[in-house]
Amino acid sequence: MPRNTSALLCAIAASALVLSACSGSTSTGEGSSKGDELKGLTGQIGSKDFAEQYILAHLTTKLLNAHGATLEANTKLVGSANVRQALENKQFVGYWEYTGTSWITYNKQTQPLKEAKAQFDAVKTADAAKGIEWVAPAPFNNTYTFAIRSDKAKELGVTKMSQIAKLPADQKTFCIESEFSTRDDGWPGVSSTYGFDAPKDNVKLLDTGVIYTATKDGKDCNFGEVFATDGRIASLGLTVLEDDKAFFPIYQGGFTLQAQALKDHPKIADVLAPLSAKLTTDEMQKLNAKVDVDGDEPDKVAEDWLTEQGLI
Amino acid sequence: MTVQLKRPSSLRHFVTPVAVVAVLAVVFAWVATLDLDSIEARTLNAGYLIDRTREHLVLTVVSSALVAVLAIPTAVLAHRVRSRVVRAIVVTLGNIGQATPAVGVVILLAIVWQTGFTTALVSLVAYCFLPVLRNTLTGLEQVDAATREAARGMGMTPNQVLWRIELPLASPVILAGLRTALVFSVGVATIATFINAGGLGDMIVNGLKLQRFSVLLVGAVLVAAIAVLIDWAAGLVEDRVRPRGL
Repeated sequence: MPRNTSALLCAIAASALVLSACSGSTSTGEGSSKGDELKGLTGQIGSKDFAEQYILAHLTTKLLNAHGATLEANTKLVGSANVRQALENKQFVGYWEYTGTSWITYNKQTQPLKEAKAQFDAVKTADAAKGIEWVAPAPFNNTYTFAIRSDKAKELGVTKMSQIAKLPADQKTFCIESEFSTRDDGWPGVSSTYGFDAPKDNVKLLDTGVIYTATKDGKDCNFGEVFATDGRIASLGLTVLEDDKAFFPIYQGGFTLQAQALKDHPKIADVLAPLSAKLTTDEMQKLNAKVDVDGDEPDKVAEDWLTEQGLI
Repeated sequence: MTVQLKRPSSLRHFVTPVAVVAVLAVVFAWVATLDLDSIEARTLNAGYLIDRTREHLVLTVVSSALVAVLAIPTAVLAHRVRSRVVRAIVVTLGNIGQATPAVGVVILLAIVWQTGFTTALVSLVAYCFLPVLRNTLTGLEQVDAATREAARGMGMTPNQVLWRIELPLASPVILAGLRTALVFSVGVATIATFINAGGLGDMIVNGLKLQRFSVLLVGAVLVAAIAVLIDWAAGLVEDRVRPRGL
């Protein structure tokens, strides 16, 4: 092969290697500014593929690293199932999961528990049998809820889901997504518990992201199925309805990690506890809005917030 | 010396549908042995399957019919105009239609315009436009110039040349393009689930998100079965419509 061609190929290969090393959303901690109790803890903190998860992964990584760990956040995986699988295969040290999700999806249960602590304990026991531990449950509840554009809410006079049943049939229009449409803790359950009695044509199946804009427009539906901690709710001028019959499962956030990692470094739970305590649903909404609405980098949002809260 | 083309024996005609039915039978038999939980039971039942399959077929067939009605005349016109620029523009538009990710197009349209069947239809038509367009153009172009000249020499008008000589001679290629478009649209019609247009995509996304593999498998196998059957049916039509001697 002529020398020029092989030199060119070498240059391309080298630059490809350099570029691939530079890419990817990983971040390493800066140093053990707050203590050394987690020295020796190394590996990756995983996350699912939406803003809240990116933020939580970075918060955890930075906080644990400030206590002597050398972890990095890996936000590249897509899909809850894949992240959970990676944890079970010991590719990740841990990631933030929701109690309802683990109960229903990974443990294949169809009936959620009504009370947050009961649900947390049940899922902790179930997952412990699989070598996965839960620590640092946070107050936020990223559950399903229905949202409606604020002006329409005032017009119809609805603040609670139990008021929907009494509305005229043409106002009972819903946008829901695929998963929600068949889950027991989704449409079938909520519409029978609250007696929606909505005509079949009034219920539209849309992709999760499209639901937010469709709810804001109001053309397709009045009520959209959304997630309680999403930053777009406030920014799109939507109002969330109260689940007064407490139908929806609880999706409390908690940190799941390999049982072995917790055994080797039991202080992880203590280090994460002050972080979890501050993560209420409102606080998560604010953080999510910074990423989803303002377009800030999750890494930076996490860093700024931790500094502000005096945790690093 | 003429080459006598063998018409496929009628037995060969039935291999494909028999194989498809056999695979479906195996899958359904397997599902029947499963203990379905409440989530799976909501999708793995006759009513739901029939509704989704019907929606899927309607979307596929209507979009393919529309593509045929739109793309073939466009190609004929582009061929007639004999301007390289026009041809290039038309083919580029077709390229864009197919290259742009169908999922992106369908969601953008849903947000900017409306959700529902029509939007899914428009996206599918855009996606399947290119194979039919390209094949029609190629088919028309490959008609031997000498044959065309002979036809003109016989006193045929350009229209007559088109209908009696060029289109019949190009028909194998045109039909191949239509067949491709049909099979494409079966697969791509799964995206209709994202904008309330129904179809078997509902099952696939459901099974995927909830990690219920039985649901996912049945949905995927059904889509594949429909694609193979439609391809087979199109092949039958192609055999019938193709002029003898080609």
